[in-house]
Amino acid sequence: MLKYILKRLLIAVPLIFGVLTLTFFIIRLAPGDPAAFFIQPGISPKVAEQIRQQYGLNDPLPVQYVKWLGNVLHGDFGRSFSRAQQPVLDVIAEALPVTMTIAVLTLIANFAFGIIIGVISAVRQNTFLDRFLTVTALFFYSMPEFWFALMMIILFALKFPLFPVSGLNEVGAENYGPFAFALDRIWHLVLPVTVLSINGAAGIARYVRGSMLEVIRQDYIRTARAKGLSEKTVILKHALRNALLPVVTLMGSSLPFIFSGALFIEVIFAFPGMGRVTVEAIFARDYPLIIANTFVSGALIVLGNLLADVLYAVVDPRIKL
Amino acid sequence: MMKTSNKTILSILPLLLFAAVTLMTGCSKQARKDGLSASAKDSTLVIGMLGDADYLNPVIGASLTSSNISGLIYPSLLQSEFDTKTGLLNYMATEKKLRPSTGEGVPRSPKGALAKTWTMSADHRSITYILRSDARWDDGKPITSRDFKFAYRLYGNPVIASPRQQFLAELVGAEKGSVDFDQAIETPNDTTLVFRFYKPVPEHLALFHTSLTPLPEHLWKEVKPQEFRESKLNQNPVGAGPYRLQAWNKQQDVVLSSNRACVLPKPGNIRRIMFRVVPDYTVRLTQLQTGDVDVVENVKPEDFTALQRANPGIKVKTLGLRVYDYVGWLNIDQEYYHKTGKLKPHPLFGSPAVRLALTHAIDRQAIIDGYLGSYGVICNTDISPSLKWAYDDTLKAHDYDQALAVKMLEKEGWLPGPDGIRQKNGKKFSFVLHSNAGNARRNYACVVIQQNLKEIGIDCRIELQESNVFFENLQQKRLDAWMAGWSIGLEIDPLDGWGSDLNKSRFNFTGYVNPRIDQLCELAKGKMRPEEARAYWVEYQKILHNDQPVTFLYWIKETQGFSKRIQGEELNISGTFYNIDDWVLKPSANAVP
Repeated sequence: MLKYILKRLLIAVPLIFGVLTLTFFIIRLAPGDPAAFFIQPGISPKVAEQIRQQYGLNDPLPVQYVKWLGNVLHGDFGRSFSRAQQPVLDVIAEALPVTMTIAVLTLIANFAFGIIIGVISAVRQNTFLDRFLTVTALFFYSMPEFWFALMMIILFALKFPLFPVSGLNEVGAENYGPFAFALDRIWHLVLPVTVLSINGAAGIARYVRGSMLEVIRQDYIRTARAKGLSEKTVILKHALRNALLPVVTLMGSSLPFIFSGALFIEVIFAFPGMGRVTVEAIFARDYPLIIANTFVSGALIVLGNLLADVLYAVVDPRIKL
Repeated sequence: MMKTSNKTILSILPLLLFAAVTLMTGCSKQARKDGLSASAKDSTLVIGMLGDADYLNPVIGASLTSSNISGLIYPSLLQSEFDTKTGLLNYMATEKKLRPSTGEGVPRSPKGALAKTWTMSADHRSITYILRSDARWDDGKPITSRDFKFAYRLYGNPVIASPRQQFLAELVGAEKGSVDFDQAIETPNDTTLVFRFYKPVPEHLALFHTSLTPLPEHLWKEVKPQEFRESKLNQNPVGAGPYRLQAWNKQQDVVLSSNRACVLPKPGNIRRIMFRVVPDYTVRLTQLQTGDVDVVENVKPEDFTALQRANPGIKVKTLGLRVYDYVGWLNIDQEYYHKTGKLKPHPLFGSPAVRLALTHAIDRQAIIDGYLGSYGVICNTDISPSLKWAYDDTLKAHDYDQALAVKMLEKEGWLPGPDGIRQKNGKKFSFVLHSNAGNARRNYACVVIQQNLKEIGIDCRIELQESNVFFENLQQKRLDAWMAGWSIGLEIDPLDGWGSDLNKSRFNFTGYVNPRIDQLCELAKGKMRPEEARAYWVEYQKILHNDQPVTFLYWIKETQGFSKRIQGEELNISGTFYNIDDWVLKPSANAVP
């Protein structure tokens, strides 16, 4: 398996590299000018030109590409145009943990709720409870997340002020001490994680229900029941384990989705994460930052898919990598 | 082997889930109690903002947020006061004022200025400041005239690319391309600072252009120009103003704490000011309602009622008129211009009479009534009614009169075609109106305009573009008709927008050419006192009003939401934070001692 993983990782290198090269040219071909902000009344016409010179945008495109290539091969993705010349890797190092926290919490909540709801509706197939859960899941699944986020804010931050509207911490939270600070952080994460996970959980619940229904009909489940095992043991120990096999592989492939979901959650809840960095970089035509973001999300997708394939082999001994 | 790993995954999973769920739900109540410690909030003013500051450095800070924050951290040579009676900016040193205060608007104290007084030479070619001797940087070193000269070299350095280098445009040497700093700025001793100009400069302009913020030379002199933007000093600015940077969490907040010992000027009772980044407008508004944020700029008129019903402790304040929307008509044939570089009238909008007819056909009042309500005023030209010293109040707005518009169009040869759309020599009066996406007000106006024009037989389609793309198309003069806005400065200097030299006038997107406009602008600039230029500006407004290079739509009263716990705030067209030094924060009723 190790050989397989190494092989996949090796293939990933030219793949990501190709994506970066493509991004490099596409963003430069797109209309818009990173120095456009400096073209305004009261600012000397020279400034935009000087800024372009600083950014190295006056060189011909092939020269820019070769220079960029040299830097990237040395691990230098350059400095951000729009964020005060911060090295882009620093920008990402600041933003990535925020998004990772949201993503991991969301992933956990996704699977927790998804599996519980899925199992219940499979076991109680065609009862009122099953229909109710199915309809509710579909309802949340088809809801636009940005709208849902705003509704949650209006409901739980404005009408019933239980949770904060936005931000990572309360004003003055830095004086709280580590424990209270962590609690404050978690309290701020409840709404966004709920919004992000409800949608995903609804999807997973459908998967679990389907796979569970298939498993319950198998002969060995009948055997288990026939030998007098309690229903709880049958469902949780014999059925669920096997039903979860296809679901576990979703974990790898849902990572990129959670990341893209974090995009608008971060804008709405004012979290300084990767999503916001990406959106703002695109609007500001911040070329180095856009490329570095593409690198991170490209790597995540490749790794996510790899994880999915490896998980397959881990949970299902019939598959050999 | 496979079996055990299988087991661990499945047995750990519920544990993780359980931990996460308890953390997320069980602890929220306790955290909330801690979170609402009222005492921290009571001495902290929280300002909601759209984006983070870029550089807290007056030389390179480009965004308005950065200037607002820098203004609190750094000292300034002069204090300024906006006179709402005349619309003129008054400059003050501790012992001298440019002109006496008229008493209109809220007077400001000159005490915070670094300059004690100044003298303008009789030939208007130099200005000499005498600085106070007791001013110190936050690290204890005195502020001297050399800090100014040092900073001006930075402002003028092309490698640093300061967005404020326009302020150096009159200094000796600037006429030849680069300022000769040894000649232009002289520092005979620590408290004397002399600026020399290559031409006579009106006193108010000289004061405006020589009062850029200084930087401490002893800290910055080691920093190379090419590393200026990357310098660590930008993260820990050493200033001398009423506030100091306490914390800067990138993309989250900038926290300033007051410097009690400061006299440049002395800070008020607000101990901390937090600029909090909240990118989403709806969320900013919600935070204003819940009291998490005290100031939110640019609240949309349609949200006022709901806002004040939800929280009566919110007041809405307006600035003067400094922003307007307009419909731009390309005056020249762009294809011909791009090919030959010569001018030929645009087939649709080339004639002033047609443009005037279009203005008459558009119901500007309906757009105001439908969207801005009492926060909009019909706009005649780009000179703001707030700049009373120059504004021509005798100019009568062009009425909404479609019958007149039709008559004018027909006189110009635009007659109804078989499909109801007007044509002239086989050319249909049909065009695309462009605007930037994501601006609800402009979208609304576009739809009204489309409807108005349809009623008189003109076919107008709407196309919205991403802002960057839209702006690039405008600059390249690729758009025939567009809707955009403009924000005016306190100094009237419209040549960039209407100048006849289309290569030099960066913002003349319409291609409007009228040599008399160039003349009037130059004549007005040549006057040593702004009031003396009034006659030129009145003529300027008459010409624009008749030629209608664009259809001016409406001035917008920008509206800012304030928590009622802020007192003493005064807003005018120089900005929302005009007198933030004088604001007072009233403790909340539930203040915890």
